[in-house]
Amino acid sequence: MIALSRRELLRLSGLSLASGLVLAACGKQSGLVDDNAIASLGQAPKITPLAEAEVTDAVLLRTAASLEYNAIQTYMTALDLGILTGDLARVAEMAKRFTDDHQQHADAVNALAVKLGAKEYTCSNTRINDLYIAPALKIITEDGNPNPAMDIVALAHAVENLAAETYQSVVGLLTDPMLRADAIRIGQQEARHAALLAQILNPGLQGVGPTPNEKTGKPNIAAVPSPFGSLANIQLAIGKPKPDGSRITLLLETPSLNSLIYESVVCQA
Amino acid sequence: MLSDNDINLLAFTQTLELTTRDLYLTVVGLKTLSEDEGALLAQFHSHHVAYEQSLNGLLSKNAATARNETVFADFATRLSTSSTPWATLLEIENTLVATHAKTIESIESAKVAALMASIIIVEARQAAILATLTTSDLSAALDNNATALVAS
Repeated sequence: MIALSRRELLRLSGLSLASGLVLAACGKQSGLVDDNAIASLGQAPKITPLAEAEVTDAVLLRTAASLEYNAIQTYMTALDLGILTGDLARVAEMAKRFTDDHQQHADAVNALAVKLGAKEYTCSNTRINDLYIAPALKIITEDGNPNPAMDIVALAHAVENLAAETYQSVVGLLTDPMLRADAIRIGQQEARHAALLAQILNPGLQGVGPTPNEKTGKPNIAAVPSPFGSLANIQLAIGKPKPDGSRITLLLETPSLNSLIYESVVCQA
Repeated sequence: MLSDNDINLLAFTQTLELTTRDLYLTVVGLKTLSEDEGALLAQFHSHHVAYEQSLNGLLSKNAATARNETVFADFATRLSTSSTPWATLLEIENTLVATHAKTIESIESAKVAALMASIIIVEARQAAILATLTTSDLSAALDNNATALVAS
């Protein structure tokens, strides 16, 4: 064991400090040119910082309005495809009524946002469209899909559930109790839309409560799938069945921080 | 910690759910119902039990212990004199939806409001299904013209 006196220890630490200063002086700041001798792989991307955005009551209301336009567009597309015929002619009638409801909802939540000093938002939510609705429509309308009409109903059902969940979730986020009540009054009607569409997809009283699919074990579509309103992701199985019988499943989630309609977001309609 | 205001409102809500639980019990075993109809009513009854119990847990020692006898008597009479229970049950569910939404206007706690919202969503679904058992008119399933009950 090496024994060092207090004086020697102090001398050693002073020497270490001086060495550090010399090395630092020999670095970049002393005028040395970088010879690129150190290998580098790729380049760090330039990061564009997001604008400062606050999740206010107005933002939540504008986001809800955007989803109403997503629903309207979904129904308009469904009707334009002209496939809701025969046994599904009743769904076409439902789609028209539901479209009117969604327009009323959009007007109502936009009016509330304007009351708060925000601008109304009359466009669909781009991210929700890009992530869920557009891909779903692509799958549904692909050649080989044996039942695009029922898949369109399934998409509408998923969008209605998404809207109902969104209103339910914003109740816990809105700061004004009156707005919470306004939100759930709209949300409860979205839930009614979803329940009626569920009865098209899985008709009869046996399709009301939760049941498992005998082949896949996954839950069947149900009008009243749980005792409390769920905020879980929404499964949408569509498209041409694979050899094992399964189909492409999209998971829809309520708008999050990257899909809210902040006050800086401008409708490009 | 719930405020006194929220405790009063939640106790009123729990009273209504207790009342609805008991109203469903009066019809759930009716022999005139099919097996599927009976199962449907049993499911909806169990949901109201769940609501009453969740509110009971929130309220703890402040929980309500009795149903609203006036509301019970009114709807029970109508259930007993109708050939089918669907229209009356629809009105009950619609009344709950309207009342709970009205209650949310005055509830201070956002968490409690969120719980109420999760109940309303399902009661609205139940109302829509009950409406389809009475008529093919879409408006009956979608529009809620029921009047909210007021806490006394």
